[in-house]
Amino acid sequence: MSTQQPRPAKQPWSRSNAAQRREIIAASVLPLIVTAAIYWILKIDYTVALIGVFLPLQVLSAAAVGLRAFGRRGIWDALLLVLTIFLSANVLVLLASVLASVIGKGFGALSSQFFLQNNIYVSTTTSLEYGGVGHAILGSLIVVAITTLLAVPLGISIAVFLTQSQSRLRGPVRTFTQAISGLPSVVSGLFILSIMPYLHLQHVGFAGALALFPLMLPTIARVAEEALRLVPADLRMAALALGAPNYRAFFKVILPAAKTGIMTALLLGLARVVGETAPLVLTLGSNNSTNLNPFDGGMASLPRYIYSFVNTKYQTSQERAWGAALVLLMVVGLLFGAARVLGRKKSLKTKASKATKKGNR
Amino acid sequence: MANELATASTLHTEDVSVWFGDRQVLDKVSLTFPANQVTALIGPSGCGKSTFLRTLNRMHELIPGAGLAGAVYLDGKDIYGENVDAVDVRINIGMVFQKPNPFPTMSIKENILSGLKLSGRKIGDSEELVETSLRRASIWNEVKDRLDDQALSLSGGQQQRLCIARSLAMNPQVLLMDEPCSALDPGSTRRIEETIEELSDSMTIVIVTHNMQQAQRVSHQTAFFLADDNTPGGVVEFGSTEDVFNRPVDARTNDYVNGHFG
Repeated sequence: MSTQQPRPAKQPWSRSNAAQRREIIAASVLPLIVTAAIYWILKIDYTVALIGVFLPLQVLSAAAVGLRAFGRRGIWDALLLVLTIFLSANVLVLLASVLASVIGKGFGALSSQFFLQNNIYVSTTTSLEYGGVGHAILGSLIVVAITTLLAVPLGISIAVFLTQSQSRLRGPVRTFTQAISGLPSVVSGLFILSIMPYLHLQHVGFAGALALFPLMLPTIARVAEEALRLVPADLRMAALALGAPNYRAFFKVILPAAKTGIMTALLLGLARVVGETAPLVLTLGSNNSTNLNPFDGGMASLPRYIYSFVNTKYQTSQERAWGAALVLLMVVGLLFGAARVLGRKKSLKTKASKATKKGNR
Repeated sequence: MANELATASTLHTEDVSVWFGDRQVLDKVSLTFPANQVTALIGPSGCGKSTFLRTLNRMHELIPGAGLAGAVYLDGKDIYGENVDAVDVRINIGMVFQKPNPFPTMSIKENILSGLKLSGRKIGDSEELVETSLRRASIWNEVKDRLDDQALSLSGGQQQRLCIARSLAMNPQVLLMDEPCSALDPGSTRRIEETIEELSDSMTIVIVTHNMQQAQRVSHQTAFFLADDNTPGGVVEFGSTEDVFNRPVDARTNDYVNGHFG
């Protein structure tokens, strides 16, 4: 993205000059050095050093530089900046350490057979060269796919009802949906477990999907509702003024405009259920071999696999569990990537057609 | 398509009153919009002229709690009649809004054809219809090389003319315009006014405007709406634009068109 025009020598919009930049850099580095020195010399606790020494020092130095550069208002700017960066860095560190631990402990277990094979003939002490999580990957995908097929139409329908209708029932429906989102996952599993006899269901994949359904539904409904609410009312008016019946205005104008948001709803719904363990432990049964039939026989799933292997005291089993956790992260990543690509398809197509046209001209 | 444009129709309202809930906002408006004439609706904000415009193609029904008394006749046929579907009314009576509102997910071409798709009608020769509609809205030369671009890539004035073209693709007998130029620069405004003049050859146009000069430039007849404090709005004066602006009968009209209030 390089521009053809030469860059102006002076940048009038730049708010700081070279001297100020030097001060800013010094204010960012000095507290770090001082804290590191205190930490090594006095051997104090890491958390104490971070919150008791580094944060106050950083706040003070930033406030001093802010005061010098911009006067009183600079102090508040600097404080806000320091706190924002500090807190978001904490979140990032948290995320990075989770990823690092899963990758660090799970990477050793990965191999092609770990993805492809199932768990037959594998005991708690079998070496990592045999067996894998293939059956659990398929099981997880099938269960989550069924849940998605059930929850997406209903969730979007609820969102449509909440945004497009004038019904008096909207309030109760919204409250009810929010109430479901507070449902603990284990309760959802217990509920399905308790009604399984009446549905003539054994511990099968479909029962697991049913147990995940109440967890996915409110997420999809609420995020899709927000997405639909963001579509300007003007567009609906324009469609109706062109002689569109309500349903066509919705499907041809409102829904496409909310497409990205609805994709996000789907993603968040997937993220909500794909790692759920408790409902599946209760309803899905388990299986060491590959089972693709959601209506017959127990099914394996990644969370369940992790749960059962991490609870043993054998090292190979624990390594399997970490490997499976890494695979679960990869599955989630792939699902997210796929959904993002699907959600962007329209604009990509337009760009591509534009490019070819320009090439032809 | 170009040679078989619908003929303009006469629109006539009889004692139209409108309520939103318990509040009456319009009281017994009776106006006639002859074929091929441009009628301007003027008046201060909140006098009910936009609401009145919306009763002409039943768009006011989308507001919860809206109620209407009276009748609106399109070539003698009541558009509020028992067997008349609001959707059919809107196909014959098009509307252009204050803010340009092209469909953001569609290309320029798709926007033009969207009306046909949305109303479930067959698309005959789409290429020709797109060109004709864009030409009638005098935007063809600006967009003919990029019909597949997103509609939002156009400037505000172009977007508004695209919206006019989108309405024209439906081949309406009447076109309602709700302050179509209030969000536009003078250049775009002038082009839209020229478009209005050309369009009046083939359709009846009703335009709401806050711009006195615009009303004088584009319209053949003018209706002045006014709502006194806490009373429903109504028509104070209705006649040829020439008369309403230069020889107003009512003192309030005189004050308004000369900028003494409002």
